[in-house]
Amino acid sequence: MTKTKPLLEARRVFKGFFGNPVLKGVDIALEPGRVHALLGENGAGKSTLINLLSGALQPDKGNVVVDGQPVLRFSPAAAREAGIAVVQQELSLAAELSIAENIGLGALPRRFGLIDYRALSTAVAEVCERVGLTEPLDMPVGDLSLGRRQMVEIAKALFRKPRVLILDEPTSSLSAHEAGILAGLIRKLRDEGIALLYISHRLNEVQALCSHVTVLKDGVVTADQPLAGVNDEGLVRLMVGRDAGDLFPAWQDNPVGNELIGLEGFSAGMARDVNFRACAGEIVGIGGLVGQGQEDFLLGLYGAIPASAETAQIAGRHRPLKNVEAANGAGLAYVPADRKHEGLVLPHSIASNLLLPSLGDLVKHGLRDRAAERKRVADLTRRLTIKGDVGRPVQALSGGNQQKVALAKWLPLDPSVLLLNDPTRGVDIETKREIYLMLQSFAREGKLVILLSSDTPELVHLCDRVAVFREGRLATMLPRSEISEEAIVGAAMGLSAKGAAA
Amino acid sequence: MNAIKAALRNPPLLTLILVVLVWIIAGLTLRGFGAYGHLRYLLELSAVIGIVAAGQTLVILMGGIDLSVGAIITVTAILLPLISPEADPTGLVGIVLTLGIATGIGLLNGAGAAYLKVPPIIMTLAMATFLQGMLVIIAGGSAVSVTNAAVIWLGQARPFEVPAGVLLWVVVSIVMLIIIHRMPVGARFLALGANPLAARLSGVSVGRNTLLVFALSGFFAGLAGILILGMNRQGYVGIGAPYLLTSIAAVVLGGTSILGGRGTYAGTIPGAILLVTTTALITVVNASPGWRSIMFGSLILGLLLISGREARR
Repeated sequence: MTKTKPLLEARRVFKGFFGNPVLKGVDIALEPGRVHALLGENGAGKSTLINLLSGALQPDKGNVVVDGQPVLRFSPAAAREAGIAVVQQELSLAAELSIAENIGLGALPRRFGLIDYRALSTAVAEVCERVGLTEPLDMPVGDLSLGRRQMVEIAKALFRKPRVLILDEPTSSLSAHEAGILAGLIRKLRDEGIALLYISHRLNEVQALCSHVTVLKDGVVTADQPLAGVNDEGLVRLMVGRDAGDLFPAWQDNPVGNELIGLEGFSAGMARDVNFRACAGEIVGIGGLVGQGQEDFLLGLYGAIPASAETAQIAGRHRPLKNVEAANGAGLAYVPADRKHEGLVLPHSIASNLLLPSLGDLVKHGLRDRAAERKRVADLTRRLTIKGDVGRPVQALSGGNQQKVALAKWLPLDPSVLLLNDPTRGVDIETKREIYLMLQSFAREGKLVILLSSDTPELVHLCDRVAVFREGRLATMLPRSEISEEAIVGAAMGLSAKGAAA
Repeated sequence: MNAIKAALRNPPLLTLILVVLVWIIAGLTLRGFGAYGHLRYLLELSAVIGIVAAGQTLVILMGGIDLSVGAIITVTAILLPLISPEADPTGLVGIVLTLGIATGIGLLNGAGAAYLKVPPIIMTLAMATFLQGMLVIIAGGSAVSVTNAAVIWLGQARPFEVPAGVLLWVVVSIVMLIIIHRMPVGARFLALGANPLAARLSGVSVGRNTLLVFALSGFFAGLAGILILGMNRQGYVGIGAPYLLTSIAAVVLGGTSILGGRGTYAGTIPGAILLVTTTALITVVNASPGWRSIMFGSLILGLLLISGREARR
């Protein structure tokens, strides 16, 4: 095989924000017909590197090189021109526009100066078929689940017929089925000679898809090598710089206490007619394909959306909670999946975010007790090892640390029921492990942890029971002895023979 | 160099520096500008705007806007003389009643925004239009003179050579800074302004805080209305109209984000003074009213580019 010329390269790029160097002389070369993995913990500089490669940011030093030619003033427009497309982790779709309009946005076919909807729908139908989008093309994107939106995002990137495709955690909100379609698609694109850059925290995907890997650690490249012959442990070692040990802590059998949640015929949003019981000291998993009413179930429990039930007992209250304050008062806390939009007030400081839920109880003579607040913030940041100046805006933190803030802010209220919506999405391995240990210690303290997760291994390793949702209903409740990835995925797809057990 | 950079990143301080510069330059070049009487007059006018802008600051911090403050000022200025009971020689009863009405109007604004989910800009605009119609019916076209002793004292008295209105503004300022920076509600307003969804999921009540913030806005507008009435000794339809846009301008000049979630009343204070000073300087220039308006608009825009500029996100 002759040496192929890279389509897109970064050469010795440096980039810093507010004096903090994030990238310190990074090289990467994306070659046609190769799936290149980019690994690294959160905060290692992956997102920054992607932003440089897509023209969203300019390097402080070093060059972005397209087809062997250094580009001086690289911009998103120039990147598009060069055939570089990025599927971002944060979805960048307009909820009000239809699937077809979103996909075509910025490259809409025109006729006499007006949008040529007929040409658009033919072109869009073709890409949608490739990514397995079967929804009507005129459906507003806002009506789709997160996983389907991600597929629209991918279709949007493909619509521009890119030569270089950068995928930033494309599977984090996808179901197993959708992830499978995507994997097939990626292989096809590779065979067509497209250069792909694949960022993921899921090592099995990386192993299955990629042939070359670049590992970033603290802004420098620690490995740039073919993937062949490197196993998962080897990859983790490269990222963390040491042996990571097992990702999942051993499952613990905690004594089960009082029933904290008992529901009959509970309905909220997409979740319908759910019967569910859970006790203190349990970790109960909630699984299923993405968007089967799991999130609405949690939000309904939390009083954030209207809920109804035939009979209900939630932390001692005998009807569904009518709002979030009531839920907090009853001892419920909720950590949303979308921490940037739902979990945190991004422009505000780490300290204000940590204090927000418990502001009311550090008050002296009607005024905020600054000394007590400082103490609480110091205590929380120490317990969760959140590093750095607490006066910084929380958006300056990496994803993992943001998630820790979103969790930590509830600890002062000492909730008895923790509702967690995909708490490890987009979080680096080290933080994942910390979060797992934290969940176990919550259960040990006699709290009830309800863990909604799109990452099936997480459910398998941590949970005492797993409730699998399908089409808004609780399809199967798997006891500890029956929990396995196969059982969860099977129940989610409606294949389980014992599906009627619940 | 670092001090300059810090000042550039601190909008309230920047606005204050701008005020001081304008005062020094104008004091040195314009005869009479630096006289104590003139500066006191400027502060007296600033006090009115500053008090209206107090409520407006809170509403804007929470991501809303209150377009009814002008109408509420007019309502208080016209209703106060009509409802002050003759039997009360101090006039305090009339003031309390009027402030109650102003706060009640604010509560209605808040209820519309919180429970009927009407966007604040529409809700308060509708309220302003409604109030104007009502006032025309009640007062007709005629002006109402005030005899309420407390109101006249507030508008005319100068204990220790300082106008009572300015003293009132000092009290309002202290209360405002405590609300925003030292009380839990202040932090909640800011959180709701920056990310209402995250704030709600963190247990911050959207309904209660919206009611509270609009009630406070109504209250402060009412307070300003009483002060204006005392200074003018007459209330008439349209007396509050000039204060709507100036209150918003003072807030924004002080560096508070018009989108909510970021800012402080410490910026609104110099913002109000800067606004009044600018108006005064333009009046000195011998120009037709049309040109004065054009100059005022351009200056506000220019000042905003210097001081009220949103920090890049």
